[in-house]
Amino acid sequence: MSTHAPEKTRIKEPLLSRTGAMLVMAVCTLYFLVPIWWLFVGASKSSDQFTSTNPLWFADFDLFANISDLFAYRDGVFLRWMLNSILYTGGAALLGTVLAAMCGYALAKYRFRGRELLFNVVLSGVLVPATALALPLFLLFSKVDATNTFWSVFLPSLVNPFGVYLARIYATASVPDELLEAARIDGSGEIRTFFKVATRLMFPALVTIFLFHFVAVWNNFLLPLIMLSDERLFPVTLGLYTWNTQVNQIPELRGLVIVGALLSITPLVIAFLLLQRFWRNGLGAGAVK
Amino acid sequence: MTQTLVASRHEPHRSDPKPARAVRHGRAVPFFVVPFGVLFILFYLLPIGYAIVQSLYTVERTGTFGPAREVFGGLTQYERVFSDGAFWTSIGRVLVFGVVQVPVMLGLALILALLLDSGLVKGRRFFRLAFFVPYAIPGVIAAIMWGFLYSPNLSPLKPVTSAIDFLSADLVLWAMANVVTWVYVGYNMLIIYSALLAIPAEVYEAAKLDGASQFRIAWSIKIPLVMPAIVLTTVFSIIGTLQLLAEPQVFRSFSSAVTSTYTPNLTVYSTSSIPNFNLAAAFSVTLALTTFVLSFAFLRFTSRRGEQ
Amino acid sequence: MRKSVSAVSALLISALALAACGSGGSSSDSDTGAAAASCAPSSGPVTLTYTTWIPGIEDVVKVWNDKNPNIQVKVQTGPNGNGGTYQNFFNQLKAGNTPDLGHIEYDALPSFRVQDGLFDVQSCDIVAKAKDQFIPWTWNQVSFGDDKTAYGIPQDSGPMALFYRADLFEKAGIPIPKTWDEYAAAAEKVKAAGGYITNFSQSDINQFAGFAWQAGGRWFANDGNQWTVNLTDDNTKKVADYWQNLISKKLVSTVPPWTTEWDNAYNSSSAWTWVSAVWGANSIMSGAPKTAGKWRVAPMPQWSAGQSVAGNWGGSATAIFKTSKHPYEAAQFALWLNTSEEALGLLNKAAQLYPATTAGTKYSYLTNPVKFYGDQKIYEVFAQAAGEVTPDFTWGPTMTATYANASDGFKAAVSGSGTLTDALTSAQKSTIDTLKSQAIPVKE
Repeated sequence: MSTHAPEKTRIKEPLLSRTGAMLVMAVCTLYFLVPIWWLFVGASKSSDQFTSTNPLWFADFDLFANISDLFAYRDGVFLRWMLNSILYTGGAALLGTVLAAMCGYALAKYRFRGRELLFNVVLSGVLVPATALALPLFLLFSKVDATNTFWSVFLPSLVNPFGVYLARIYATASVPDELLEAARIDGSGEIRTFFKVATRLMFPALVTIFLFHFVAVWNNFLLPLIMLSDERLFPVTLGLYTWNTQVNQIPELRGLVIVGALLSITPLVIAFLLLQRFWRNGLGAGAVK
Repeated sequence: MTQTLVASRHEPHRSDPKPARAVRHGRAVPFFVVPFGVLFILFYLLPIGYAIVQSLYTVERTGTFGPAREVFGGLTQYERVFSDGAFWTSIGRVLVFGVVQVPVMLGLALILALLLDSGLVKGRRFFRLAFFVPYAIPGVIAAIMWGFLYSPNLSPLKPVTSAIDFLSADLVLWAMANVVTWVYVGYNMLIIYSALLAIPAEVYEAAKLDGASQFRIAWSIKIPLVMPAIVLTTVFSIIGTLQLLAEPQVFRSFSSAVTSTYTPNLTVYSTSSIPNFNLAAAFSVTLALTTFVLSFAFLRFTSRRGEQ
Repeated sequence: MRKSVSAVSALLISALALAACGSGGSSSDSDTGAAAASCAPSSGPVTLTYTTWIPGIEDVVKVWNDKNPNIQVKVQTGPNGNGGTYQNFFNQLKAGNTPDLGHIEYDALPSFRVQDGLFDVQSCDIVAKAKDQFIPWTWNQVSFGDDKTAYGIPQDSGPMALFYRADLFEKAGIPIPKTWDEYAAAAEKVKAAGGYITNFSQSDINQFAGFAWQAGGRWFANDGNQWTVNLTDDNTKKVADYWQNLISKKLVSTVPPWTTEWDNAYNSSSAWTWVSAVWGANSIMSGAPKTAGKWRVAPMPQWSAGQSVAGNWGGSATAIFKTSKHPYEAAQFALWLNTSEEALGLLNKAAQLYPATTAGTKYSYLTNPVKFYGDQKIYEVFAQAAGEVTPDFTWGPTMTATYANASDGFKAAVSGSGTLTDALTSAQKSTIDTLKSQAIPVKE
């Protein structure tokens, strides 16, 4: 069995449909990319030309000068922020995905008392607004004197109730009990079976969970805003926000915010491109079952 | 990416809920559950409990500069919440926002996913990436960018923006809806698209042999099969809508129409910066319950529809 | 496995119990916090933490650190006050882990005082002795009118004056307005010449507060037992009606402040004047580079001819938090930062801060001609204004809420629904509600 092959169908489709479809795609591409193009063009201008020249076309191309200004500003704190973001986001998403997968797998494959209760409690965790969690978390971390540390942002970011939900459904669907039984008969321990057999079958789902989680952590700026007071621990979103609030004192920062915004997109685009490759493998693996 | 988001058909082991037989392997359960469970308790349940407790206290003080004491006040803060007109207006506002924006966004995401999946389009990898890129932009930054794009004087779309004031009281809600749509269409499209990819090819074979058009196939086979994915993205969009914070907060600085209580979460934030922690906690708890009720109602509604 | 379930539920219960005592604990924390530390020197070397959003502050602090190996200061930065740092201070006060020193604007000081979060710096001899170095009204901003106590060291101030486009006024043959009546008359002529006399700051209420301050409006008073809120006194109403009239006649533009849109209004010569604080000089320079050489500064227009009263917009203090273990050393640092010529010079260079000391306004860098302003010695105008600010303007204890309410109403007025006075009336009411919900005694 294979995924369906578009090549076969394409020939049959009338030209009109194809043109119409491409037109919709083209319009949408403009809608999604023009603002990014504007950001790119804006990032390449001096602050003077930013307001005085055509916003969608280049004036003097100062992008590299702007980037080196950005990197030089306050001893390269921006690079530090990028690194922090990658650590917070990548680390939390990676570890969080493993934890969610383990929990979801257990919920799917073992029967134990309180299983449904646990599942329901975890699932309703999805509904809690971030604002409701951030402040109590700060006060709780204060009690153990752990605010303003890497861990105060990293640890709460590990928890992803939605990932557990996805992992459970996917484990139910894609890991046959027979296979687990066979592994047991071969003498493989439960934990070993999970890591050697189940995770492979669940891989596409794990990539999905990772992507969801990655972006959720990437976008969460309220928690670091409340937790962190040391600039050197900031993720890039908080850093850029901070600069943006100081624009009326130091207007030069506006240019840096724009260049910084452009550069801050790159890690996610790279993550996406990498995941895209995994997806295809994952889908192939999923199709073999 | 996942079969999970595809309605179950042709997947025998799923329609066969064999009882998991692992009772005797139970010792492994703590290994799997405890790491997540501990973190969940520490960083979800504990703060929620703390917020609930906080919301039951009120502040007392003596004199103008006397120290504050927190005393148990029962539901005093909730009385304030329920008599706060601005808060409920803001809930109404985000509901109107959601009723319009969520279907538009998901409709667009569905159409794009179907087109990508239909074979009518060349360069799918490019489009997939192009539509997803806005999602890489954090909400705060996206709102700042669109603020420029709406500007009557500096926008690249100046002919439009100087004629129509997108930041006026009448339009600013929809200006924000556009920002949210712009950011999230690609993300939702990917969820639906991956659900489509997971549909086995032979499901279509019969329809193709009958000469059904792509439109027919999309309407009567693909959409029903990816319904679970659509329901899921809808629930998430409802939750996201009720929790709007970054966009209105940024828009406050360039639109005169966005007030400090424009969305429920903005009310929570401005209350806690007074600082009135107890009232802010009561607002958050109420907002979480409202979200819960609405998402639950939606899920019930769709599952009943599904049974019919 | 049953064990694990009961373990989980036990954890859960203990978690909730912890949350419960957590809340009780925090109230006792603030009780113990009330026992103020005295201003005694610590033994041995200390490290102080200082949270501020002044750009370039590290360079200033480094000078101090190099000279004072036993009192090292560690800087923490964040967003500007209302952008998140005040919120963080409040959170930290509640949790009992504030920095030693914090940057707090004058209008936010009472909020922290009401939360009982500030150390009385006047209990330090060195501070009490230095009091006379400060411009009296700036000291009043930190002492709330009480001679015996003070809750911060004044850092900078924002005396107001009139920035105007000399070239445009000359070309149109309009005299530079000396009173508000002349200003309104000029507004009509400027409109006829195709411009706006100024941009009314709809969402930044502080500018309006500066106008009200000059006109004799007194928004808050505190007699020791309770607060009085009076956002709608006659003098404030006079100011509100005045600007409402200009808004209704569309003689002023109403672009949101601090946006590129707003910069553009000045850069493209559509706005001809700006009644602003001393730090506004830099905003124009960077926001409107095309207008270099064309701006001048004159004293703020007066309500009656012949008067000379100025308003103030902005300014901040360096406060010491009550939880600081080293208030004496913190006070030493704060005094150096805000009174020494060296530090004030660096602060002015890094962030254009305008000093709050009398001597500070006479330093050489503030008496030089400024090229952007056609070589006018603009800071002399501000130095004079600094001496003309009336001393007894008091801020309220929940200014963030008051600002939010008033600015919501101002925005409505600008979009044509309601008036500025309506906005102030509604802000008056909701300010009183906010105070009451915080159990702060207030006169109805």
